[in-house]
Amino acid sequence: MEIVVCVKPVPESETRLRAASDGMSFDPEGVKFVLAGYDESAVEQALLLKEAVPGSKVHAVAFGPPPRTEEVLRAAIALGCDLATWVEGPAEPSPDPMTAARALARALGPVPHDLVLCGKQAGDDESGLVAAALGELLDIVDFGFVVDLRWDAARSCLTFRRGTEAGEEHWEAPLPAVIGLQQAWNDPRTAKLPAILKSRRAPIAKVPWTPFPPDVGRSVPEKFELPAPRTGARLIEYKTPLEAAEKLVRILREEAKVFP
Amino acid sequence: MPDFSLTPEQESLRDLARKFARTEMAPHAAECDRAGRFPEEIYRKAFDLGLMNLNVPAEYGGSGLNVVDQCLIVEELAYGCAGMTTSVIANCLALEPILLGATAEQKQRVLPPFCAEYQFASFCLTEPSSGSDAGNLRTRARRDGDHYVLDGEKCFITNAPHASLYTVFASVDPSARHKGISAFMVPRATEGVTPGKDEEKMGHRASSTSTVRFEGARVPAANRLGAEGEGFSLAMRTLDMTRTPIGALAVGIAQAALDHAASYSLKRVTFGKPISEHQAIQIKLANMVQAIHAARLLTWHAAWTIDHGERGTLESSIAKCFASDAALHVADEAIQTFGGYGYMKEYPVEKLLRDAKLTQIYEGANEIQRTVIARELLRSYE
Amino acid sequence: MTPRVLVVGELAGGHLSGASLEALGSALSLAGAASGVVGFLAGSGARAASARVAPAVVRAATDAGADTILVGGTTFGRDLIGRLAARWNAAAAAGVTELRAEGGGVRVRRPVFGGRATETRRLEGPRRVLALRPHAFPLPPEAPVEVRVSPVAVEETTAALRSAKRTAVSAVSSGSGPGLTDATIVVSGGRGLRSPENFRLIEELAQSLGAAVGASRAVTDAGWRPTSLQVGQTGKAVSPQLYVAVGISGAIQHLVGMVSSRVIVAINSDPSAPIFKVADYGIVGDLFEVVPALTAEVRRVRGL
Repeated sequence: MEIVVCVKPVPESETRLRAASDGMSFDPEGVKFVLAGYDESAVEQALLLKEAVPGSKVHAVAFGPPPRTEEVLRAAIALGCDLATWVEGPAEPSPDPMTAARALARALGPVPHDLVLCGKQAGDDESGLVAAALGELLDIVDFGFVVDLRWDAARSCLTFRRGTEAGEEHWEAPLPAVIGLQQAWNDPRTAKLPAILKSRRAPIAKVPWTPFPPDVGRSVPEKFELPAPRTGARLIEYKTPLEAAEKLVRILREEAKVFP
Repeated sequence: MPDFSLTPEQESLRDLARKFARTEMAPHAAECDRAGRFPEEIYRKAFDLGLMNLNVPAEYGGSGLNVVDQCLIVEELAYGCAGMTTSVIANCLALEPILLGATAEQKQRVLPPFCAEYQFASFCLTEPSSGSDAGNLRTRARRDGDHYVLDGEKCFITNAPHASLYTVFASVDPSARHKGISAFMVPRATEGVTPGKDEEKMGHRASSTSTVRFEGARVPAANRLGAEGEGFSLAMRTLDMTRTPIGALAVGIAQAALDHAASYSLKRVTFGKPISEHQAIQIKLANMVQAIHAARLLTWHAAWTIDHGERGTLESSIAKCFASDAALHVADEAIQTFGGYGYMKEYPVEKLLRDAKLTQIYEGANEIQRTVIARELLRSYE
Repeated sequence: MTPRVLVVGELAGGHLSGASLEALGSALSLAGAASGVVGFLAGSGARAASARVAPAVVRAATDAGADTILVGGTTFGRDLIGRLAARWNAAAAAGVTELRAEGGGVRVRRPVFGGRATETRRLEGPRRVLALRPHAFPLPPEAPVEVRVSPVAVEETTAALRSAKRTAVSAVSSGSGPGLTDATIVVSGGRGLRSPENFRLIEELAQSLGAAVGASRAVTDAGWRPTSLQVGQTGKAVSPQLYVAVGISGAIQHLVGMVSSRVIVAINSDPSAPIFKVADYGIVGDLFEVVPALTAEVRRVRGL
């Protein structure tokens, strides 16, 4: 099985975010970029399928600027991906996910792909658009919010579940397919030290990218705002638990207006 | 001048060690400390990730890291638990004499099978009557045909109860004093080799320490490292290599102590404000972070000096001595910052003081470090 | 120029879903008048795969002269807009909490970084597709309008689409009330509950409020409750109207999952717990006394 996994560099989750001086996006200065959390699951899933289906290969692809995009691809290689392709994108801190999807689709054209895996959404932008967009652009079926993805070798199809508002759906689908993965069936593995050292020397294919023409829609960041800092909880004073309960319910009804 | 920034590779190595220390080691540190438990399952994970045998070249199955990279990893591991770190890096200490003194044939015979499996090795120099005065060791190695017969007792040997390989320093000719010492690779399975019972220690309690008794243990001459009489020099050159990472270990302990103390100071309120706003605490924290920064930079500089081909005895002794003294002081001040809570085992800081103490004693007691520093210093004035 | 909007609606229990109604309301204010809005109703089969529906939606939008497509941000909607935007060469935004037509385009606001920040983006180009964050928009006013209904054929365009099969749908596991990510109110419990048996205090309070039950990672790691209830960085991100955190200290990994809730109440015995920094209201006390009292008071007020 030729497995492609799309990955994205995002700020580490503990990052203290600041607006850039132009106020349009967050300030990338001093920010550490890592493999997005859901992408770690997608890479793990790709590697689990590679182990389950002999002869499979995993190809990591990413769209973005240096150096963070290359670093994230090296992290994917250190985890066990066989190949990596980097579509060099602009250095904007808040890129348009549709632009990324279009750039990746173009790069994937010549790359063999039976299964394209994406993480459900990136920890920064959280749009979750890329999987479905890739499905359309590559003209293959896509499924999002997938868990428990398995390969049924006897019937040559993928089986998986999707959590929706209506309930949990069980699916079978043939390849090729694009999957937006919510969770792998294992915790993501940790790259080992020798693999980390080896990944530094691994070749990464570089694909150039030029901006799309103006009639192709795109979203452009205009403002990045941090919320007014919460000043801390208003502590409810009480003498008995009943008094605390009564006061809180009254506040929720009359002041906060969130009582059902 | 060296560039103080880390390469992306170094950041990846440090992140690997940091993640392992905080997610695998730290959650079990208190329990292992309390029980004196040697956590095999954690050491096994460290081995699987490539965190043991850091100094062994990749061609022999190790990670082949230089001293700077080792220091980056060791500091992060020690932040998680100093005792576990001691056991993890003890392999480096035990294998260094082989790296420095073995023939290509010996290295090829011993190192790849050793590094391929999860197992421990122990460096056996110290004896009940010779620690700092290593040249006066009494374990005898008597030549008998193409074997040596070892008799004697080593003590305070890290990982001894668990090791499958011992690097042993024994005297072939006591009258030649330190020039009579030779080094040997001794498999655990050798008849007459008996590790003792795990000692009950003040700190580093997740690490295992015991005596090793040699009674008529027959070791092939092919297991001798270097020429007869070269053993003492091999031991000293080994310690030159391993001293700096011990400094990094001390820095890790100190950093953990500082982090605990600083976060606590922001939360604990006395006299109407967080104690971080009281000058007494601010001065403590300032002194702590100064000591840590200095210790870290001294270890990095010593490591860089060694990686650039110098012996670095002066630099590594300064680093180890300063960093271990700093760790003890910082841990002490951390407990003081916590006040009564710092004295309670439920809080993590008292362990750090007990762990820091050992760093002043092992791998060359700080008194010896100071005489070495003085000697190296004065040499430049002659 | 005012946008001409196509709204994709989906059914839930035989009615237009709440998220679809919100999208409709937004469409009406964006287009300025009902005449500027065209509805596309996706039947129950359409939920199965957005890939089946997307070509028909695009065709309908183009035929209706629409330049904007809105959909509620359910799993169906969020799957759909990626397909739509790619097929229609449109700009796209998901999780939108505010939108306004400006100049030739549309400006949106949406939470990012797990709700720790908000960004404003301009959707440029002649066409745009948006998925709206559920519960962020008001429902449209009741104003009956003449509607002309035309059925639309949906073709299966590829062999793969034809042979993908949904083999079963199992109901959301009972006992958890509304789904965690959609719930208007969430009551979450943490390590402070001390044992899995005590977690029933959380469940009882949730039930009294008609709320979903959530849990901190400590609780799910310890196996007290399934990981599907975990709120946090590696669990679910929720932004209900009301989030009640009981016995949860407020480590950053948990906060990332709930800090964008509109109102946060914390109940914890430790006054220095970080949760009190992000909460709007707090009760410092013994949860084993406060929570049962709260459950009883809620029941009394709600007449349960």
